[in-house]
Amino acid sequence: MNAWLMAATVLLLGLVPCAVVMLRGSPVEALVGLQMAGVLESVVLVLLAEGFHRPPFFDLALVLALLTLAGGLVFARMLERWV
Amino acid sequence: MTPASIAVVVLLVFGVAVELACCLGVLVMEDAYDKLHYLGPAAIVGPLAIAAAVVVRESLSQAGIKALLTAALLIVASPVLSHATARALYIRQRDHVEPYRRGRR
Repeated sequence: MNAWLMAATVLLLGLVPCAVVMLRGSPVEALVGLQMAGVLESVVLVLLAEGFHRPPFFDLALVLALLTLAGGLVFARMLERWV
Repeated sequence: MTPASIAVVVLLVFGVAVELACCLGVLVMEDAYDKLHYLGPAAIVGPLAIAAAVVVRESLSQAGIKALLTAALLIVASPVLSHATARALYIRQRDHVEPYRRGRR
C-alpha cells in the first residue's frame, strides 16, 4: 500500500461524521453533509486513481465533482419549496 | 527520499488533515449556517493540496491535468453550492426573500 492509498483510506474515515450529520440533522444540515461527502469522495477518487496508476480513473473524480454540483443545486432548490 | 517525494507526502498529509478537520467541523457545529463555513476549506484547500501533490509527482501529464481540473471544478462549485444551500435555509426559515432595494441595508 503506497502513500496515496493510505491517504484515501484515512480520508474515508471522514465519511462517518458526514453520515452522522445526514442521519441526525435537519434536511438542510443533511444537505451540507451530503455536499461534504461529495467533495470527500471526489478527492478519494483522485487519490485512488493516482495510487493505482490508472490515469483514466481521474475521469470518475471529475464526473463526480460535476454531479455533486448538479445534485446539490437540485436538492437546495427542492428544499426551498417542497420539503 | 527525494525532495519531490517529501513534498508529495507533505501535501498529502496537509490535504487529508484539512479534509478531516472540516468533516469534524461539520459534525460539531450546531447551526446549518455554521456547518456551511466548513464546506469552503474542504472544497478549496484540500483538493488543491491533493492536486498539487499529483502534479509534483506526475508533472503536467494527463493525470496532473485531470487532478487540477477536478480541483478547479470543486473550487468553482463550492461557493455556488454554499450560496444555494444558505438561500434555501433562509427561505425555509422566513418563507420568502426580501426584495433588494437600492440604498437600503
